Amino acid sequence: MSALAVSIGTLELKNPILTASGCFGYGLEYDEFYDVAELGGICTKGLSLNPRAGNPPERICETPAGMLNAIGLANVGVEAFCREKLPILRERGVTVVANIFASSVADFVTITERLNRETGVAAIELNVSCPNVTEGGIEFGKDARMCGEVTRAVRAATKLPVWVKMSPEAGNIVAVAKACEDAGADAITAINTIRGMSIDIEQMKLRLANRTGGFSGPALRPIALRIVWEIAGAVSIPVIAIGGISTTRDAIEFMAAGATAVQVGTANFADPSAAKRVLDGLRAHCEKRSIDVKALIGAARG
Amino acid sequence: MSSPVLPKRRLATLPLMRRESIGGLYHVLTFEDAEGTLALPGQFTMVRGAEWGDAPLLPRPMSYLTAGNTPSILIKVIGEGTLRMGRAEPGEPFTLLGPLGQPWRAPSPGRRAVLVGGGVGIAPLLFLARAFAASGQRQPIAIYGGRTAKDLPLDDELTALAELHITTEDGSRGTRGRVTDVLKDLLGPDHEVFTCGPDRMMAKVAELCASRDVPCEASLETPMACGYGVCLGCPVPVTDGGYLYACMQGPCVDARRVDWSRGDHAPKKGVTQLRTKS
Repeated sequence: MSALAVSIGTLELKNPILTASGCFGYGLEYDEFYDVAELGGICTKGLSLNPRAGNPPERICETPAGMLNAIGLANVGVEAFCREKLPILRERGVTVVANIFASSVADFVTITERLNRETGVAAIELNVSCPNVTEGGIEFGKDARMCGEVTRAVRAATKLPVWVKMSPEAGNIVAVAKACEDAGADAITAINTIRGMSIDIEQMKLRLANRTGGFSGPALRPIALRIVWEIAGAVSIPVIAIGGISTTRDAIEFMAAGATAVQVGTANFADPSAAKRVLDGLRAHCEKRSIDVKALIGAARG
Repeated sequence: MSSPVLPKRRLATLPLMRRESIGGLYHVLTFEDAEGTLALPGQFTMVRGAEWGDAPLLPRPMSYLTAGNTPSILIKVIGEGTLRMGRAEPGEPFTLLGPLGQPWRAPSPGRRAVLVGGGVGIAPLLFLARAFAASGQRQPIAIYGGRTAKDLPLDDELTALAELHITTEDGSRGTRGRVTDVLKDLLGPDHEVFTCGPDRMMAKVAELCASRDVPCEASLETPMACGYGVCLGCPVPVTDGGYLYACMQGPCVDARRVDWSRGDHAPKKGVTQLRTKS
């Protein structure tokens, strides 16, 4: 039995496989498929202070080996999450990372304070990189100073580990990651989607009502890998990788680039058991080679 | 929601048993399922070739045409995914996630069912008509429309199951015009309508039913990535504001709930890659 546990700062995860925010609901839609508590953790749909209905349709479209989404952070709001979703997750022993979103530093802090009152939240992941909302979102994530400011404020407001989810659209993403580290972040999550576009040439109209949408899926993987490599080489806190991870091979590739853990995102759509499949394969890989999973972290960096 | 306890969902890799090319761009794909698919009429499945690799990436939402040990779907070749389905050979493995979504509601006692379909929208209506026949219910009326005589897949199967009225826009078969041209003359106060087809058609059917105070159930079609409630890609505007999600709260819904005037969910004819009904 190989060891699969990894540490993200003070938080120990039973294994390095998580699910990405926005691709796994609230982790309660999987009863028929597998026990979500087996995963290293789940990142919730982005939680805002108040419920959000989201963007008008069309919200999604497929692209070669990928997809665009402009959901617009439709979510139940932090209060309903704490009352209706979290108690079930807690009882099931699921490691819950609360992904939170706000359009002001003050609201980020208010949401954090609400989560402080609950048990069963393992970490907070700051979504400073949503490409599909008009306020906040990516505007925080593109700017090292603003991103540091949000991180510092949330850091001061909670004892929970704070992860910051990077936008690939930051001019200097390494500088943004370092600013978050300096501001007290416990980990960097990279990357969120990158804005893309698609046109229906029969009707000569944009496929998404929001015009642009976040691009995700396997086609994004090499870009994400390059960014994870760069950030992992520049910060001393753990990096949690996302970007088109669909198989165990992909997870190992990102860990070899320096990620301590990975998040499975878009792959959950086609296969609800995708994250479990990646985990089972990773366990088999480590057992076959009699290695601790931690040996994979940065293995390709020389 | 008025639906009964829904059958358990599962993700199964099933071999294609046969593909029947039924003319034009239409095919019926039948899969071999030893365990058995417990789908109810109106429910759907997310279908993807098990060997497609990274593209096409997403499964395609398809209404069940039949269930049991030989679940089947009706497809129209409109994009990359359906193109591959339309070329698939027996033995080729597919993943089917299902049964998903809300089935057609149970028919109201004392009302005669009127099935109003267009194109591949006929699939969940045929499934319903077969269920009516199997349970010994009164034969429904069916109004089935297409642009031309070539756009009426599986019309022969419907003949045996319903009092069938055909419409074509070019008059090449049946009544020249649209399904609503027939429905408006035929619809009675003790009828109950079940409709599936293009949004514009369903919007007109819903409007007609509402004006006559006749119940109308619609099977919605939108793009979706997951089919089980997490991608949130399938919102449909509702009359009391906000959205319902076609995958979980639909695809079959009371047509009065839908805000048909907000046409921003209207289907993009012939080019949408992700569709609920082929």
